[in-house]
Amino acid sequence: MSPHARLALTVGGLAALLVAVAAAALFVGSAAISPGAVIDAVTGRAAPASVESVVTRAIRLPRIAVAALAGAALAVAGVAFQALTRNPLAEPSVLGVSGGAAFGVVIGQSFGLGLTVPEAMGLTGLAFAGALLAAAAVYAIAAAGRGTIQIQTLLLAGVIVGIFFSAAITVIISLLDVNRLGGVIYWLLGNLAPIPPGALGLFAILLAVGFGLVLSHARELNLLALGEESAQQLGVNAERLKLTIFAGAALLTASVVAFAGPIGFVGLIVPHLLRMLLGPDNRLLVPTALVGGATFLLVADTLARNVVAPAELSVGVITSFCGAPFFVYLLRTRYRGTL
Amino acid sequence: MRATEPGRTSLRPPTECRGLAAPAPVTPPLVEFRSVGFGYPASARHRARPFRLAGLSFAIAPGEIVGVIGPNSSGKTTLIRLLTRVLEPVEGEIALEGERLQSWGRAELARRVAVVPQGVPRELPFTVRELVLMGRYPHAPGRFFENPADVAAARSAMEATGVLDLAPVPLAALGGGETQRAVIARALAQEPRLLVLDEPTAHLDLRYQVETAALVRRLNRERGVTILLVSHDLNLAAQVSDRLLLLAEGGLVRLGAPEDVLDETLLADIYGCDVRVESNSATSRPTVWVPYTTDASPRRAER
Amino acid sequence: MSATALAIALVLVASAPAAAFSARDMLGREVALAAPPARIVSLVPSVTEVLFALGAEARLVGVTDFCDYPPAARAKPSVGGMVNPNLEAIVALRPDLVIATTEGNREETFAQLKRLGIPTYLVAAHHVRDVTDLIARLGALTGYQQAAGPLLVHLERRVAAVTAAVAPLPRPRVLYVLWPEPLIVPGREALVTELIRLAGGDSVTAADADAWPRYSLEAAVARLPEVILLANHGANTGPIDEERWRRLRSLPAIRDGRLRRVDGNLLHRYGPRVVDGLEQLARAIHPEAFR
Repeated sequence: MSPHARLALTVGGLAALLVAVAAAALFVGSAAISPGAVIDAVTGRAAPASVESVVTRAIRLPRIAVAALAGAALAVAGVAFQALTRNPLAEPSVLGVSGGAAFGVVIGQSFGLGLTVPEAMGLTGLAFAGALLAAAAVYAIAAAGRGTIQIQTLLLAGVIVGIFFSAAITVIISLLDVNRLGGVIYWLLGNLAPIPPGALGLFAILLAVGFGLVLSHARELNLLALGEESAQQLGVNAERLKLTIFAGAALLTASVVAFAGPIGFVGLIVPHLLRMLLGPDNRLLVPTALVGGATFLLVADTLARNVVAPAELSVGVITSFCGAPFFVYLLRTRYRGTL
Repeated sequence: MRATEPGRTSLRPPTECRGLAAPAPVTPPLVEFRSVGFGYPASARHRARPFRLAGLSFAIAPGEIVGVIGPNSSGKTTLIRLLTRVLEPVEGEIALEGERLQSWGRAELARRVAVVPQGVPRELPFTVRELVLMGRYPHAPGRFFENPADVAAARSAMEATGVLDLAPVPLAALGGGETQRAVIARALAQEPRLLVLDEPTAHLDLRYQVETAALVRRLNRERGVTILLVSHDLNLAAQVSDRLLLLAEGGLVRLGAPEDVLDETLLADIYGCDVRVESNSATSRPTVWVPYTTDASPRRAER
Repeated sequence: MSATALAIALVLVASAPAAAFSARDMLGREVALAAPPARIVSLVPSVTEVLFALGAEARLVGVTDFCDYPPAARAKPSVGGMVNPNLEAIVALRPDLVIATTEGNREETFAQLKRLGIPTYLVAAHHVRDVTDLIARLGALTGYQQAAGPLLVHLERRVAAVTAAVAPLPRPRVLYVLWPEPLIVPGREALVTELIRLAGGDSVTAADADAWPRYSLEAAVARLPEVILLANHGANTGPIDEERWRRLRSLPAIRDGRLRRVDGNLLHRYGPRVVDGLEQLARAIHPEAFR
């Protein structure tokens, strides 16, 4: 089978799975709506102000979309970052960018932003501002005046910057008005919520840009595994590759935090799962991560909002519960030397 | 045709002469270094003392095998990096096929010059086939997947190094010798005119050292690939190379036929220990050996 | 009113725009409603209590998990917590108004409700007069003004009784502990501060501009409180560790045995039971006046 065919088949299969999961997710929720009513709502037969219409179209559908977009972005960023740093433990949050974005949002929430639509957009803007600050800091540390990015330093710089912003968030929390505290902590746990169509559209565009940046360099990422020097000797512009991938992964990660909140482990687990199934070729991993990540987070979020209904678990709880044992599994298999 | 020097003593060039010792090649050189200089930036603290490559001038003729020898930190690796544009020279110029190296694009350069590094990174998860196909990148960097022509070229390269049977095997499962052959195949898949091998026999068992040497000579004779072989193994370099390039402390000390370059006094001076060179009737190349059980001090010139 | 005038009034009302019944919430926002709300979701336990006290519970279709008073409130459908109410649950109740607070609910929730087209009425209370205001507003909103009047009068009488009883007595320095670790105390904008004043004491942390500032133990102790009140928060929270306070033997409050527990649920909510809380505070600060 030609590699094109194999890719198309794999992505197609996963996409079908995603659609099936999304469709199923439409039918489950806290509000008791019959499947027939859900279908009526989707096809437009139900009245626009009816419960099934509002719940299905204004709550469930946007939430499913956010989960899919966020999962896709995190998984692709994870693949990119793991390939860039040649480190299987690399996760988008280690970039430091999500810490900066979270800091931006927490600052905004502390000042009570979010009450009006412009303020909600302001929160998103603050998230990107924080992310940009963090990315600039990471780049500055990693380039260290030489003008070229040192990969080992990049990882370290990301961790340092992430820790710094984490500490800054902790400072804010310790000083925060008691009434706001609950809300800020709730956001920090990582909870998905429906967002307006405009924001969804913007999220989708940013995802497409980040995905494009990474996908167009998937072949070079394979070569990077040979080491920077060897990759350069094969004709790869290593500096531009590093910068492009860093920018793409940062954009994806920042978008997730801005539109969906801080969610961990997706960017770690999904790439590894896919690598176990499909092998190490990034040309396969990047597109399948897009669809596979979307499916993964969608399943996690559907569980989160239904297992203890009407209460909701944070989706971050579900992904962490998957993440910890997964780490153990990773350590054991690598320790035994099997690949 | 390569020239071989008759006796050593009468035609041995003076040590101060830095330049071509062999007769100038008839065809235009494939690679030319003209007074190339390089120094790592002052901030590079990983070096005990500042390193500088200076006044390096030599040429490599198409179709020949040149061995680069010298002590550690003499500039052998730096030479490869300069040749492949991983580093840019601070002084002088490098020419490939008569054109300045700077005017070559990266992919273009990779289609001419292929480097066989000392191994592959540990835990590289790819199969032999996937590794060899990576060598096709410079031929179409914009292409996402390799096309049938790429697959055919990779196949041919694997055949030449005898790893075709191992194509679907993960690299992690291979031994040292097989891995080396896979890496050479990857370089061959680039279809280069010049193949640069960086310490190809380091860490290899004797059998695989012999295999690698034979492979290198076969590639040179049957495919006309020009070879630049960097090695600390003086005997291997002597037996395989047409000419030897001796580097020490960033400078070219001697370039010429093995018999001329492998001079006892010179080597003792450069390596800082007692070195013996003997002629070997079986290989018609000099053999270098070192007396390990005596005091390591340079021998005074007596002979 | 004459029949003609009535007819004119009826015509005017009939031809008035749909959003005739608009109200201003306690944050000054216009809340547009088509009619007096008949299906209210309350995201604030205080509001739930007020609605029950007014007799308007028939209009209440949804509450939070924390709306536990009166006991009948627990029978109402719950939409989740204050910080993370379930949007689907809210929508499924088909409310025409959601009442929420900026102290305890999240802005994100208001934004979501607005997006879903559900009007939201925001409340907040920092002073006793806000409690009065809240009761009056909810009365007007639900059409139960008649009940609001007597209720307010009754509450005012009890407040007056307390202030009269403590008026002649010396005013001790009072430290109110909302939460021991980190030490959270009431500032100027907290309702409890005014209640303490009405109960015949002076909160040592009253000068702080925030509503609920954090203090170090040192800073609190340096004010030499003569009465220390430890607030509990209902059955869900653990027992209050009094021992760490009793160890501060040189403090006037401990020396004189004036370390008391109070029911936080009465003092942090701003419904009618605020007066119960006030009475409890007065008894804790001046037990001798209420034998």
